[in-house]
Amino acid sequence: MLGYLGRCLAHLMVTVAGIVTVAFFLMRAIPGDPAQYMLGDYATQESLAALRAQLGLDRSLVEQYLLFVARAVQGDLGTSVATGQAALTEIIDSLPASLALAFSGLFVAVALGVPSGIAAAVRQGTWLDVAIMLVALGGISFPVFWLGLAAILLFSHKLGIFPALGSSSDAGWLTSLHHLALPALVLGFSVAAYIARLTRSAMLEVLNQDYVRVARAMGIPDRRVVYRLALRNALVPILAVIGVTFAWSLGNAILIEAVFSRPGVGSTMLKAILARDYQLVQAGVLALATGVVLTNTLLDILYGVIDPRLRAA
Amino acid sequence: MSADDRASDLAVPPTPWRQLAETLRDHLRHPGLAIGTGLLALLLLVALFAPWIAPYPPLKTNMSNTLAPMSSAHWLGTDQFGRDVLSRILLGTQVSLQVAFAVVALSLTAGTLIGAIAGFAGGWIERITLVIIDILLAFPGFLFALALVAARGSSLESVIIAVAIAFTPRVAAVMRSVVLTIKPRPFIESSRAIGMSEWRVLWRHVIPNALPPVIVVATVSAATAILAEAGLSFLGLGVQPPTPTWGNIIADGNSLITTNPWISLSAGFCIAIAVIAFNLLGDGLRDTLDPQMKRQTGRGLL
Repeated sequence: MLGYLGRCLAHLMVTVAGIVTVAFFLMRAIPGDPAQYMLGDYATQESLAALRAQLGLDRSLVEQYLLFVARAVQGDLGTSVATGQAALTEIIDSLPASLALAFSGLFVAVALGVPSGIAAAVRQGTWLDVAIMLVALGGISFPVFWLGLAAILLFSHKLGIFPALGSSSDAGWLTSLHHLALPALVLGFSVAAYIARLTRSAMLEVLNQDYVRVARAMGIPDRRVVYRLALRNALVPILAVIGVTFAWSLGNAILIEAVFSRPGVGSTMLKAILARDYQLVQAGVLALATGVVLTNTLLDILYGVIDPRLRAA
Repeated sequence: MSADDRASDLAVPPTPWRQLAETLRDHLRHPGLAIGTGLLALLLLVALFAPWIAPYPPLKTNMSNTLAPMSSAHWLGTDQFGRDVLSRILLGTQVSLQVAFAVVALSLTAGTLIGAIAGFAGGWIERITLVIIDILLAFPGFLFALALVAARGSSLESVIIAVAIAFTPRVAAVMRSVVLTIKPRPFIESSRAIGMSEWRVLWRHVIPNALPPVIVVATVSAATAILAEAGLSFLGLGVQPPTPTWGNIIADGNSLITTNPWISLSAGFCIAIAVIAFNLLGDGLRDTLDPQMKRQTGRGLL
């Protein structure tokens, strides 16, 4: 187990180093002069020269890269041109709101997706299976921001159950939760659709295995077969899709945040993009991608706990 | 093992193109594949003939008839500039399908080549490629496309390139793992034995036989590409107005959701139809092209 843990961590280090490199080159995708791009057409020569010096644009590409890496290691991802604050601080400040959305969405997704996937697999071919799979097909086919708009229309304007705004200035946690509910339900539903589809096919695969047939033939009750034998063996692919969807919801949170006017990393990045505050965009991409890799590493370790065969691989 | 078995094991399998033609003939009975193909054909026709089908010029504003409700003159009403929503949605089909096909073509070509070379070459080439693929996969696809579009500027070309780059590592990863299962098969060894060069083996035998599962992945990624383009356009970072796209029509209708909900809602239905078409096509192709990947999914669905 220790060796497996070590391999996971080594892999993590390499990947994070790679992410820093990709984030550096993303900045190079700006056509022309990045300083000009960030400061706009009316920038003075002095401010352009100052920003070029700060970004190290007057040096060779290799030097620029090493400078970027050295700063990133110290947690310096540059400063926001718009606010003058450290880019990393801006991102960290907007992180709690995003994490609240991502985790509550994931909670809804798992609570909704896994049971309905199991139900569809166990009742394969019945109307319940068809109904669940049709709803899931809708969930993966409608864009998440459209689902958000439709939910606002239905639950806020027609039924008046939830507020249309995804956040409130009121500090009370009950109010914040009330405002969080609709965005979390929308994100959760769209992720639940993926989870339900995958849970269904993973369960079907296991339920068709010989050992399940043997267990049934031996007269072991259905409930026990499904939950003890089948679900446990279907757990690794289900966990895998939960990891993938977590990454997906971090990336798509920007859309949910836009629809519900919620603060978060996504809306901070969107503002930064529109203001051409590229260092802030870069910091956001770096932070979110690192978050995804951390989640994946945790899941990899978890797979090793669930399935001892994977540790040897 | 009988002599016949060995012979069939050594024989080069029929090319995927002939397989494709045969399976298409045999399996258009597959409901998912048939419905997906039908929907896609319909969308293609709409995209091709949109300028002629559209009842009004989609860019023509009419300030005396803004925010008209649904009527026989304007089936889906008009927007805040008096433009006919139905005409805009019909024309929006063009952008979505362009993005879908261009992204698939680019990521399929690049991903197939990279994945095939990595898997076939093995050794350090494979290890380095794998590390790079892993790194690129760590970026949420939509976020990566967003950052690239932000850097390159908003245009149809930027969106296509950004989404294609986000998808290429996914295709390459699948391609490599399929190539690994083909490499040890006897017909590859026999091709080498009769003196075929490595490149020729790769080109003539490895890639064609590894294509089916990769085509499935690419079809599904067309669906995701449509969603990504819609998301970028919704945020105002994709194709710029006044060119209508389903994403920016939803954005236009966003502030009017209480008074004229059909502007946003109908564009969303179009996106869903296109995505369902590609997903059904992908599921259907998986069942027919690639029996090894076949699962009990898809069939129970429809």
